[in-house]
Amino acid sequence: MIREITPTTTPEQLRAELAAFLADPYPTYRQMRDQTPLEYVFLPPGIAPGIDEPMRAWALMKFSDVYNALRDHETFSSARNPLVAKGIFPPLVLILDDPPRHTRFRRLVNKAFTLRRVEALQPWIARVAHQLLDEIGSGEVDIVRSYTIPLPIRVIAHLLGIPEEDRDTFKRWSDTFISSLVSIPLEQRMKNTQEMVEYFGRMAAARRAHGADDLITALVEADIEGESLQDWEILGFCILLLIAGNETTTNLIGNMLNILVDRPELWQQLREDRSLVEPVIEETLRYESPVQQLSRVTTREVVLSGVTIPEGAMVSVFFGAANRDPQEFPDPDEFRLDRDLRNHVAFGMGIHYCLGAPLARAEAQITLNAFLDRFPRLTRGTAPAVRQTTSPIVYGFQQLPLVLHPREQRYAFSH
Amino acid sequence: MRLVIDRSKCRKTGQCAYLHPELFRTDTDGSPIVRVEHPGEELRAAAEEAVELCPSGAIALEE
Ligand code: HEM
Ligand code: SF4
Repeated sequence: MIREITPTTTPEQLRAELAAFLADPYPTYRQMRDQTPLEYVFLPPGIAPGIDEPMRAWALMKFSDVYNALRDHETFSSARNPLVAKGIFPPLVLILDDPPRHTRFRRLVNKAFTLRRVEALQPWIARVAHQLLDEIGSGEVDIVRSYTIPLPIRVIAHLLGIPEEDRDTFKRWSDTFISSLVSIPLEQRMKNTQEMVEYFGRMAAARRAHGADDLITALVEADIEGESLQDWEILGFCILLLIAGNETTTNLIGNMLNILVDRPELWQQLREDRSLVEPVIEETLRYESPVQQLSRVTTREVVLSGVTIPEGAMVSVFFGAANRDPQEFPDPDEFRLDRDLRNHVAFGMGIHYCLGAPLARAEAQITLNAFLDRFPRLTRGTAPAVRQTTSPIVYGFQQLPLVLHPREQRYAFSH
Repeated sequence: MRLVIDRSKCRKTGQCAYLHPELFRTDTDGSPIVRVEHPGEELRAAAEEAVELCPSGAIALEE
């Protein structure tokens, strides 16, 4: 995927190469990391209107380059994304913003996602987790469809105050949004965005008329230094939560279960010692980062690892590659619990550090504890596990069949 | 009132210095440094907000 695109490269070839890279990007990272920062073809010509030339970007794969770029938001802008200028991406609040607007908005929404707020939400999340597991029962199940997708969607819908029956539509919007341009054409994406805007517009209007105890009401009523939020900011934030909070968490939980199903001894250890739950989640975040890459644009010429990147250049920040850099994590391709697990960049770093990190961690923790309580053993199902290969941003499973082995029932039959 | 950072929990995200530059700054290696170790009453609200916003629960305000 990271190579020159020649005039003879067919769209089919490109699609196949991209799918192979997305299903397992780690060999590519290993091979390329030492040569980065390196310019590569980010999007091929003709993929969308307005992209007539190959769009290039500088790949960052070393931990130090990634960390430094994320911490230097003045040089590495999130707002100047050319995909927004070309109308391919809507101008999302917060994540595609720079200070001072980012600062003002982040201050406001932080309050709804603090560690303390998440702690208060935990009993509710645990109830939903156990409800989903009650519905599943035991035996072979595609855990993606029946658990890892529905849990985060229910949580975000609950926070926003969205009716449960709209959940499937939610999932479709979110999938389309993060998919690559190679797999879903621009026209369909625009229609998707339009639908989201109309939907959340109706929601916001309803909350203006009748407030409720939810995030949309809080946004509608927010007062920042005498100013209220504009409609597009509220809609933009709802859309952001939908896409930033769902698939990411789905993939964290799926990746974690996929790692554990092949480590029955660790499963036993976890059942006996729950202090290992946290390191397992953090090492999963490092080892198979749910968010693999996002973009920045340079606001000035800058030198990283001795390489000069010009002003106005697009930069791909590979979180997933940084988290496997042997300079930072010895034996990076091994899943180990004895590392300093505070250092990974799976939730980013700096001003855009994931707003939902405490929430995502809580969902993973509740899930792992619930599985450990219920299932003494976990094995693979007969159907194959399939990685998703449509989105270049996220890393996780499209299908992950598992067999959930229930506790032995001890009935006392008297004859 | 004393503002302290638990280094064993801190993940060097930079959120504290970004949102409360009046209380924290960032060292060259990315670590946060408390700028005002003993904030006065006028900074109490800001300090309490900083305690809340840290995603790692690393900031504490000791009375
Ligand atoms: C395991 C799950 C998750 C992962 C791996 C993840 C990852 C990330 C990353 C890497 C960023 C930084 C983006 C950048 O630097 O440009 C980010 C930002 C963000 N995330 Fe998450 N995320 C997860 C879950 C969530 C959840 C559950 C929410 C919902 C509350 C959420 C909301 C956000 C928001 C709003 C931002 C933008 C923050 C800003 O720009 O200031 N994320 N996330
Ligand atoms: S916000 Fe918390 S984790 Fe981030 S740098 Fe400050 S003290 Fe460390």
